[in-house]
Amino acid sequence: MVMDVTALAHPTPRMSPVDPDAELVAAARARPGEFLALYDRYFTRVLGYVRVRIRNPTICEDLTSQVFVTALEQLARFRGEGSFAGWLFQIARNAVRDSLRVRPGEELAERPALGPTPEELLLEGEQTEELRRLIRQLRPEQQHLLALRYGAELPYEEIGAMLGAAPATVRVRMHRILEELRRRYPHDNE
Amino acid sequence: MTTNDDSNLQVVERDLRALAEPRSGDDLIRLAVREQLAAKLCPRPRRRLSLRIVFRSATVAAAAAALAVVALVATNGTGGTSSADAAIIHHVLREVSPPAHKILHVEVVGMQNGMTVVGETWEQTSPPYAFRGLKGAVGQQGEFAVNGTTSFSYDPRTNTIYASPSSSPPTFADPLLQVRQELARGQAQDVGTAMIGGTPLYKINLPHGLVGYFDESNYLPRYLDDPQSDGTVLRLRVAAYEYLPMTRANRALLSIAAQHPGARLDTSRSAGVATK
Repeated sequence: MVMDVTALAHPTPRMSPVDPDAELVAAARARPGEFLALYDRYFTRVLGYVRVRIRNPTICEDLTSQVFVTALEQLARFRGEGSFAGWLFQIARNAVRDSLRVRPGEELAERPALGPTPEELLLEGEQTEELRRLIRQLRPEQQHLLALRYGAELPYEEIGAMLGAAPATVRVRMHRILEELRRRYPHDNE
Repeated sequence: MTTNDDSNLQVVERDLRALAEPRSGDDLIRLAVREQLAAKLCPRPRRRLSLRIVFRSATVAAAAAALAVVALVATNGTGGTSSADAAIIHHVLREVSPPAHKILHVEVVGMQNGMTVVGETWEQTSPPYAFRGLKGAVGQQGEFAVNGTTSFSYDPRTNTIYASPSSSPPTFADPLLQVRQELARGQAQDVGTAMIGGTPLYKINLPHGLVGYFDESNYLPRYLDDPQSDGTVLRLRVAAYEYLPMTRANRALLSIAAQHPGARLDTSRSAGVATK
């Protein structure tokens, strides 16, 4: 897909005054090459987000790539009502959802494909498998929340800003999710 | 809530974080996606290829081959692998298990979107696991390297090498670890011999679609069929799979600077291809 350069040149972003990415977004609108600074800032977080929700490393990489390509192509449509991070992770959330829709159960797939490293294989032990199974039983919004916190490692304040909720509310929601997982998760220290 | 509950919550949190932990190939993925984005920002007249093509295949072709073999080993307990199959497995496993203090050179070639795409990698089999890779269509390949502490990418348009600190130390795809893991799973299927280009090859079906083809004379990987998300299958020919001695000349294969001695080194940006 060819990037719409004219769209990227659209002015007047209405950034949230508290968005820490406001300057970079404005720069990327003015000079598309500056988008790479946003990419550098968020690559690891987006990849981490996807990894919490999808097991297959090949698909994780593809989805991460897809998220940033989409963000680049759609940047002109980002109105700035919320944070850039919130917008970006919504793209990630949609990408994960669409991927699971096309390949239901793919997050379970053990297809070795061309990609898993020893660390990835090591991670996918029985306990990890059980954790993934439990995560899949959560509601999509709960999975999203978990991935934002433990995959993207976003602070509660930032997650709250994304979801339009107070940080304390997010913390409570997260605690409930963790409690739900804890009750069913086998622990080697019990 | 009890102390034990708190402790268990911490275990859950720890394991959740482990799902997303950075991995050894992340720098290469980051560079590859970055180049893809840079190409979109500064499109060339010729058609660009998707990230998926070859790059990943090249960087881990050896791992894929090892996985194929290992998974087949595992069928012994569940599917009744014959002694003949076990012998094949033994030989193939030996061939795809990189010895220490060598450089593993892998080249894979495939056709995608009507274009010939090539991926070629050189990687140390011992620390610091320095790596250099090329990927993409012939004449349009991106080039990346990691020396253990720094990641590099090369922009041929400006003859510039971009350098940035690596986010994680590289590690080699240890086949023994894969052996252990795959032995525990074991779902591969030896489906006999397949003819490709008039050559008989051992064919091994792996879980979820990947197929490996191995030379009947020396047990080296020759082809890999990689199912794509759109339902097609990308066939990669393994044009090279060899262990090179750590000579001075071969060490130079790991270094972008050595390959482009006249290139300018730019450490002012994190990495990536220039976007003019």
